[in-house]
Amino acid sequence: MLVEAPKTKWTDRFLLLDLLTGLRTTWRELWRKKVTVEYPENRLPTSDNFRGMFRFSYERCIACKICAMACPIEIIYIDVGEETREVDGKKKKIKVLNRYDIDVKRCMFCSLCEEACPTKPKSIWLTTGTYELASYDRNELYMNMQQLEYWEGRPEYSTLEEIAAEQGITEAKALPGKGDSK
Amino acid sequence: MTQTMLNLHEMEISFGPQHPSTHGVLRVMVKIDGERIVDAKPIIGYLHRGTEKLFENMNYPQCVPHTDRLDYVASATSNEGFVGAVEKLLGITDQIPRRAKIIRVMLAELQRLSSHLLWLATHAIDLGAMTPFFYTFRERELILDLFEDYCGARLTLNCMRIGGQADDVNAQWLQKLADFLGIFDAALDEYESLLTTNRIWRKRTVGIGVITPEDAIDWGLTGPPLRGSGIEWDIRRAFPYEVYSDLKFEIPVGRNGDTYDRYLCRMEEMRQSKKILEQCVTMIADTKEGDLKAKVSRVIRPAEGEAYFSVECPKGELGYYIIADGKNPNAYRCHVRPPSFVNLSALPDLVKGHLVADMVAVIGTIDIVLGEVDR
Amino acid sequence: MSATLPVVASMFGSIPEPIVNYVIWPTTKFVIAFAVIMGIVAFTTLVERRVLGFMQARLGPNRVGPQGILQFVADPIKLLLKEDIVPAGAQKAAYFIAPMLPIIPAFLAFCLIPFGPPPTFAIADVNVGLLLVLALTSTGVYGIILGGWASNNKFSLLGGLRSAAQMVSYEVPFGLSIVGVLMLTGSLSLVEIVRYQEQSVWNVLPQLIGCFIFLVAMTAEVNRAPFDLPEAESELVAGFHTEYSGMKFAFFFLAEYASMLVNACLIVLLFFGGWTAAIAGHGLTTAAMQSMGWLGMILGFLIFGAKVAFFMILYIWFRGTFPRYRFDQLMDLGWKWMIPLALANIVVTGLVILIAQSGGAS
Repeated sequence: MLVEAPKTKWTDRFLLLDLLTGLRTTWRELWRKKVTVEYPENRLPTSDNFRGMFRFSYERCIACKICAMACPIEIIYIDVGEETREVDGKKKKIKVLNRYDIDVKRCMFCSLCEEACPTKPKSIWLTTGTYELASYDRNELYMNMQQLEYWEGRPEYSTLEEIAAEQGITEAKALPGKGDSK
Repeated sequence: MTQTMLNLHEMEISFGPQHPSTHGVLRVMVKIDGERIVDAKPIIGYLHRGTEKLFENMNYPQCVPHTDRLDYVASATSNEGFVGAVEKLLGITDQIPRRAKIIRVMLAELQRLSSHLLWLATHAIDLGAMTPFFYTFRERELILDLFEDYCGARLTLNCMRIGGQADDVNAQWLQKLADFLGIFDAALDEYESLLTTNRIWRKRTVGIGVITPEDAIDWGLTGPPLRGSGIEWDIRRAFPYEVYSDLKFEIPVGRNGDTYDRYLCRMEEMRQSKKILEQCVTMIADTKEGDLKAKVSRVIRPAEGEAYFSVECPKGELGYYIIADGKNPNAYRCHVRPPSFVNLSALPDLVKGHLVADMVAVIGTIDIVLGEVDR
Repeated sequence: MSATLPVVASMFGSIPEPIVNYVIWPTTKFVIAFAVIMGIVAFTTLVERRVLGFMQARLGPNRVGPQGILQFVADPIKLLLKEDIVPAGAQKAAYFIAPMLPIIPAFLAFCLIPFGPPPTFAIADVNVGLLLVLALTSTGVYGIILGGWASNNKFSLLGGLRSAAQMVSYEVPFGLSIVGVLMLTGSLSLVEIVRYQEQSVWNVLPQLIGCFIFLVAMTAEVNRAPFDLPEAESELVAGFHTEYSGMKFAFFFLAEYASMLVNACLIVLLFFGGWTAAIAGHGLTTAAMQSMGWLGMILGFLIFGAKVAFFMILYIWFRGTFPRYRFDQLMDLGWKWMIPLALANIVVTGLVILIAQSGGAS
């Protein structure tokens, strides 16, 4: 299939129609809706399987090291120790995860570790949670398993107002500090 | 006479590696006489990461995310080439489920659209038209959203696996794709209204960087630089892979082999990609959901042998040549045949005798990505 | 303004009147005018970025102040605080002088431009005002050439050379395109040219080709897209100001916008009836405005401002739409099309005037 330049009549060229069509396009665009998303205030919602920051679950992990082997750049560091513990009244040797570190700053978020993980549900997975991983200190991006598990923040405690509402206290003065300011 | 004497009127300019229109870190040593280019020598290697050597030291599935980084604006086709080569090495090319193949074609064509949109954006801005940049990015964003919905990443996709696909597409995704295709023609027309007939654009591109068909073949060019010279050569048609043999599409070729013809070729290619995607959306309805992967052992250890597999990536023929020694789960040697690198080799001959401004147009029109050139 | 003079004079008390009249008052006038024009020029940069953004499906700067309105204050502050880098191999003296050269004539030209009906807004109604403005605007390019040469950078040098060639090619059609207007009006005074237009029609109608050439040449004259070759960022990095930073860069930048404003004012005065909105002596003529007092003056200024704003937007619109010409194509366009066309325009205008005069005489 031969592609060829559209033929233009000399009258069109004389009347500068080619330039005017361009000007019309930009003029129309001037009044159209803008596509800018003003970032820190507004964010694009990430899709359901967006590969964002890791989460790790100590509970689920069976210390099999498959994720570390799957990683193309070898940034998952796992140390496994053996411990004798009493399980159901018997002494048993079990594998214990001593270290599970990810050098997140080097990670390229390919999700191969997540795919390799044999547990169900996965014990290492990429969440849709955040893509904002910039840091002032590169050491902050080397994460151990506690950090990996709790990066989303500590559990949120309910506020005084919520507790008050729960307990049926309606008067404002019952809340310390609230009445003083009035 | 002046050639033999000391050339005092010639000036040498180091064009790049930090230059706005060298598309990354290309450096061109240009000898100019006034504004006319006497000689140009591309210097590459500023983005060399030893990818081919890396491939020798990691197992096959681990290589796939690294192929993303070769042509980072068209990572799906890079993935496709690599997994195709490994599948060929394993001899399981026929066992890939049809649904996975269709998904691969869809991703590759979307990637072609995305890469061509980026090319149009940068090519136009190199020639001083800054507005198409923003318009194309507006549509490219929708494609990236589709990628994100499919595999979770937007740029470096890592969306293909040896033996099939990791993720399935759902009706919602297909609907989103259909919506995008619905608006895409109008968007293309909008870009073209700014460029195709514009007299300045035509003055800047017609007759610039002419490649004759003979030269194009001699230099081993592929992709739009070859097709712009009038040679109908497309890996998708010549060696059909995935499901391309079932798809109806045309291969646009140019007549004069100049920058303008290559521009027209790419614009038409986008329209053809859109047609392919529309066919894929109907074709995928006949396949079984969830049937995505052929049986592949966890540790991939192909028998001793070698395989070359190439795909038509947005820039041309992207080939992977893999040698396996049969003992290790990694390649003995993996060679990448990047289209950008080969196409770039034509640059010195294309720009000789032109002006500095034309060199920018020529670099833009051969559409290089330095990640792929340097590897 | 002369009415306010005694008030101002009384404020200075015992200062002798000649000093007030010839030193203090002009200085005050100059400072006010300079500040206002500087503000408008700086504001233009904001308008450009906003409008260009809107044309490109984005918002443009909107963070500093409501709707980004204070961006034009933030920019100079940033540029003033920036490090002033002088390249090691630069020709120091020329490097320092170069940014001043374009900005002085650009602002000087404003003195000669009547922004509204005389006498209030015409600061200096020189009888060869047009000639003087042309002379001033064409000197601006020396700074660019000098800056390009002095900064010891090959890209800058190429930018400077391009600028020189561009100026040589486009000064000629720029000058020739207004000859038609001069033949019609018979005056070089900008006020007279406007007065002529309000009595007949806007010059754009009889001088359509002249107006078109003027539009193209003035875009080329101020190095704006699609003729922004001296600073073509995709070819020459930043052209002549590659090595300039901080306030020196800002001077080049402001000079460009100031000359844009001068040229927009010129095209309005020469071809679009200046501050008037009148045809054949009907409508808002200069005399009508003068009879309305201060209100008329402000009305005239607003009409003039609106017309100038349109042309400023047109510059931006061009920039948002067109690709850039190549160096030699620019020369082609100038020498092979613009100059012959301008000459033909002069001949035709002359013939028409001759026929009209001989017809009127017989």
